[in-house]
Amino acid sequence: MSHPSPVGAGRPAPELAVRGTDPGAVTIGELAAGGCALLLFVSEECPTSAMALRRLGSLCQDWEAAGLASAAVFEDPLEVAVRVARRRGWTGRVLSQEPPYPTSRAYGLVSVPTAVLVDRAGTIVGTVTGWDHPSLQALVQKAGALLGARLTDPPAAQPRQKPGCASKAALDPELAAAMSAPAGTDDIEEMFERGWTDGLPVVPPTPDRVEAMLAGADGSTSLGPVPPALGEATLARVAACAVLAGCRPAYFPVVVAAARAALDPAFNLRGQAVTTQPAGQLVVVNGPVREAIGLHSGIGALGPGFRANLTIGRALRLLVTLTGQGVPGKLDRATLGQMGKVGFCLAEDEEASPWPPLHAERGFRPDQSVVTVIGSDAPLSVSEHRSRTPEDLAHVLGWAAASAWSTNWWPLEEPQVFVICPEHAEMFRAAGWSKQRLRRFMFEAVRKPAAELRRGETTPFVHAADPAALVPKWASPEAIVLVVAGGEAGRFSAVLGPCSGMGYEIVSREVVPVGR
Amino acid sequence: MAADYVSPIDERVAEPEPLAPAPASLRGSRAVLLDIRKNRGAEFLDRVETLLRAEGVATARVTKEIFSKPAALTVIHDIAARGGLVVEALAD
Repeated sequence: MSHPSPVGAGRPAPELAVRGTDPGAVTIGELAAGGCALLLFVSEECPTSAMALRRLGSLCQDWEAAGLASAAVFEDPLEVAVRVARRRGWTGRVLSQEPPYPTSRAYGLVSVPTAVLVDRAGTIVGTVTGWDHPSLQALVQKAGALLGARLTDPPAAQPRQKPGCASKAALDPELAAAMSAPAGTDDIEEMFERGWTDGLPVVPPTPDRVEAMLAGADGSTSLGPVPPALGEATLARVAACAVLAGCRPAYFPVVVAAARAALDPAFNLRGQAVTTQPAGQLVVVNGPVREAIGLHSGIGALGPGFRANLTIGRALRLLVTLTGQGVPGKLDRATLGQMGKVGFCLAEDEEASPWPPLHAERGFRPDQSVVTVIGSDAPLSVSEHRSRTPEDLAHVLGWAAASAWSTNWWPLEEPQVFVICPEHAEMFRAAGWSKQRLRRFMFEAVRKPAAELRRGETTPFVHAADPAALVPKWASPEAIVLVVAGGEAGRFSAVLGPCSGMGYEIVSREVVPVGR
Repeated sequence: MAADYVSPIDERVAEPEPLAPAPASLRGSRAVLLDIRKNRGAEFLDRVETLLRAEGVATARVTKEIFSKPAALTVIHDIAARGGLVVEALAD
């Protein structure tokens, strides 16, 4: 497929076939009547277009006053063009062209953004493709010379040069038509506009939905400030987050219990919310509420497919992101992040477990419904199908955690969660191993001489130890947290990365009717 | 399209306090060096302290409990009482 080159300087500017926000045709002659016109061809999906709109957008009004009319010519539907222009701070005119993008074709565009300067006579003065600061500056100075005015230069921010994206006019017409399908202007898009999202579509928190979530509880009741920005967690805001996450009203008492636990200062949510490490907040649910609301602890327990698990974890994360303003890339400084930061809720399979459930270990009665929050990185799956003794199995599971946090960072002070699958749990049950015995075995088994750990990131403990001294992976057996979940077939357990350096404690809260 | 929603945002969240203007001269000033307890932060502060003293700055060292939590009020009051400038060390 061949494409024309951009129409060059000295050639007549092709007439526009575009739509603007005002009725009636927009012509080159009208645009350039004040002196000259700058056409900035852009598209919604192109990051360089977004950068160009943002950097030039605030200059348009001053340029217009001096006689340079600027117009962003989108290769998108008009409603999308208007929305994008507003979000990027573009203060010039907004024009839209529909497939097959006749104006872009007439100007011979190969990529966006492309800036075209047209004089009063309708002649092209110059063209700049992509973001190219020196060339754009020269183009604006040419406009200034035509007008006899000093125009504000484009900002010289980094990057000074950035290639653009393919113009839709240069694409196969069928592909271009498919790409131009409208993104929609409904209330789902409205949530993205407001920033009330974790990047996925959300359920709009209408008053009716929030009221249903609250189920008569007083929405002004406060659970306290939400780190990092310390927005106040009123029950109405928590309910709004639960609606956004897709929770059913029946889940709300669990969401509130999770919020109460996470907002306990002992959990240090502030540190977890802003750290560069990929700290998520694991929500473990125990007790009768699991069955009552359909929390899933069986096959695929750490994965997709189960509404209560996914939306409860997501509701807590949205509370941190929106009410707490822990927005990724802003106050949330996680270098990489991890999918558990979208939401991470696990119900323990108490029925398949040979051991007391987590909440009973933490002092609650087994018949109580309890939420426990634990700072956590992503899970690492551990395949172990060959062990025939509990010692072998415990050895493999324990050593799977040897590189947790960092290869030579021993001992870990913070809790580390092991999710034991039912088949592995059965092997420990058959051998009569208690949780305490398993923890103690792993604590004793996973050790290395200090000398082998003195490379790269390691602990003051390792540096201070005798080189031959055996250093354990964990500071104590109690740092090992054991819960049972997963499908009944398959010997895959998982170890979750710890949340280190936060000086936090695991916190549990009973699930009670909201407002009590 | 629904006309209104219940906002999850607390609009009253305060903007961060702007930084105080940097002093025109360091000579004769008092600087508190705050060690936030990041790994090797103390080494970094040692170097900064040497440079500040060479500029005629009186220095004091303060340590907070842990890097991942805000300083306790007692630490903040201690800093305010002992210095006019603060250098907070980040390391690793």
